[in-house]
Amino acid sequence: MLTFTLRRLSLFLFTMLVLTLISFSLSFLFPGDTVINHSGQINATATELAQLNEAYQMDKSIFTQYRAYLTHILNGDLGQSMASQSPISNEVIELLPATIELSLVALLIAMLIGIPLGFIAAINHNKASDNAILSLAMLGYSIPVFWLGLLAILFFSIGLGWLPSAGNISLLFEIEFVTGIQFIDILLSDSPYKWQAFSNASAHIVLPACVIALAPATIFIRLSRAAMIEVLAASYIRAARSKGLNFKQIIFRHAIRNALIKIIRHVGLQFANLVTLAMVTEVIFSWPGIGRWLIESISQRDYTAIQSGLLVLSCFIFIIHILTDFIYAALNPLARGNSHGS
Amino acid sequence: MNLLDIRNLSIELDTPSGRVLAVDKVSLSIKEGEFRGLVGESGSGKSLLAQAIIGVLEDKWHVHADRFHWRGIDLLRLTIDERRALLCRDIAMIFQEPMSCLDPTTLIGEQLSEAIDTSQLSGYFWQRKKQRKEAVIKLLHKVGIKKHSLCINSYPHQLTEAICQRVMIAIALAGRPILLIADEPTAAMESTNQGQIFRLLANLNQLKNMSILLISHDLENLTHWTNTITVMYSGQFVESGSTEQIFNKPMHPYTRALVDSSTKANLQLPSKSRLMTLPGSIPLLQHLPIGCRLGPRCPRAQKTCVAAPKVSNFHGHKVSCHFPLIRGNRKKDSVKHKAVKGIN
Repeated sequence: MLTFTLRRLSLFLFTMLVLTLISFSLSFLFPGDTVINHSGQINATATELAQLNEAYQMDKSIFTQYRAYLTHILNGDLGQSMASQSPISNEVIELLPATIELSLVALLIAMLIGIPLGFIAAINHNKASDNAILSLAMLGYSIPVFWLGLLAILFFSIGLGWLPSAGNISLLFEIEFVTGIQFIDILLSDSPYKWQAFSNASAHIVLPACVIALAPATIFIRLSRAAMIEVLAASYIRAARSKGLNFKQIIFRHAIRNALIKIIRHVGLQFANLVTLAMVTEVIFSWPGIGRWLIESISQRDYTAIQSGLLVLSCFIFIIHILTDFIYAALNPLARGNSHGS
Repeated sequence: MNLLDIRNLSIELDTPSGRVLAVDKVSLSIKEGEFRGLVGESGSGKSLLAQAIIGVLEDKWHVHADRFHWRGIDLLRLTIDERRALLCRDIAMIFQEPMSCLDPTTLIGEQLSEAIDTSQLSGYFWQRKKQRKEAVIKLLHKVGIKKHSLCINSYPHQLTEAICQRVMIAIALAGRPILLIADEPTAAMESTNQGQIFRLLANLNQLKNMSILLISHDLENLTHWTNTITVMYSGQFVESGSTEQIFNKPMHPYTRALVDSSTKANLQLPSKSRLMTLPGSIPLLQHLPIGCRLGPRCPRAQKTCVAAPKVSNFHGHKVSCHFPLIRGNRKKDSVKHKAVKGIN
């Protein structure tokens, strides 16, 4: 298990190195002065510019420049936003938790709906329910997320008035910023209206999370259906049947765990897709997350914000990848430990 | 009394080009306490037959039978679930490829203990767990695994193939079956382990009066252990009888060829000379010959062999051939002669 962890950590380090290399090279590729792209100080005076050149070591070789850039990042200095002239790291710390919250809730919804539906489809393979679930999955996968988001607002917020359409909590509630993840902050706060705030925040998250979850859920349906069909055809299931176990026991004791192992790696892969969907959805639902911020930065040509935002988001996705790898190892005995005879 | 009595069992496979008759009207009967061998080349439908008996074939296979009795109960009249419940209680099966027949993500101990029926345990529910564990350890000792705690806490991939096979046997024995079907139980083992497994099966047969159906492609090895043998070829019934009858006086040309191809029956052969074999190879499932499927390879085949032969019974020695070898040595020699000519 230790080697497994070390391996993941080294993979993480090297991937982060490559990612910083890419964001570093973006400063050269974007229009404008490289050092201004690095730092985001568009209104710098001549002396400030000289200081910046010194700090980013722009007169030295490209390798030294990269090292200086890396030192800045490691010290938490991502530069200033060109648009608002405030430090990007502060903005990221404020906005990223909201995106994490939204995408994790969406992932949870997608898994809770998609995987059991896929299993049900596989168990009723080639029957009416299987076909119904598959066609639903096809339909869900084909709906574009922005259209679905607008439709959901039109129907549930405006038409029926059940759920709020924008933001992550009503402005009436004042929640102190601690972690940035709304639910945790609400639970930590000592406001007398804690539970009202909690239910309000839940009402806000339902619609965007469901909109994001639809496409990944349909993918999970297909993945889990294929995995379950494969597992049910395996010879250990046949052997378990001949052991005299009934169908329920076979499904719950043997089939589900083996099928989950096959799915769990794809969950990590699908997460990148899900975050992309979340960025679009954040714009539609005015969710104060990093996705909306990034898209706004793109339309404002805020190069410093773009490269730092990409770096932070890809780092977040990669951490989720590694976490799913650990869950995979915990579930699958083949992925951990060495074999021994007896 | 016959424990298991099967008449004309056929198994069909759905393929894109229509249904293929993989097993064609095979009859099999097993008496109480009998040690029967089922011999045939690989692909002759032995494993299919075994899996059809305990009812774990996939949906693409279709099984029909004229008679299927288990201890006097007509199984064809029961529903699928009733049949499976009855058979899984009384019949256990040891599968080929033990590695793939054990759940890779569940500990061996867990897989073994779930095979133990609750009715075998006597205590209250808080004592059951301990009793289960004791039963598991006892089972492992029975199949010759001494390091039981290590084995219980291992996953299948951590054990060798031979130990997995022993675990499979332990799982099969956990249900205290009346009939044990062993499908090539020693395929992946060295000869010392093979001997131990066969001795274990023979012990169970003699001491516990457990009936055993041993499936193998190795006729010579089988004769050491079995009372009776059934021979199959390409999904058809060939011959059945006591071990002596089959091995010493085979009536079917195919059995004759099987016996002749074994080294033990040919000790008089000079060293490094060729063993007797039939020309050709076993037919593909898509290109099965009509009538007797041995026809194209059979040294005694004649025009009538395009129709499937009826089973004839000679004092319990059943054979399915139009021209059985029953007229003493003179006839046998001539057949041998013909077969050799066929090769040349």
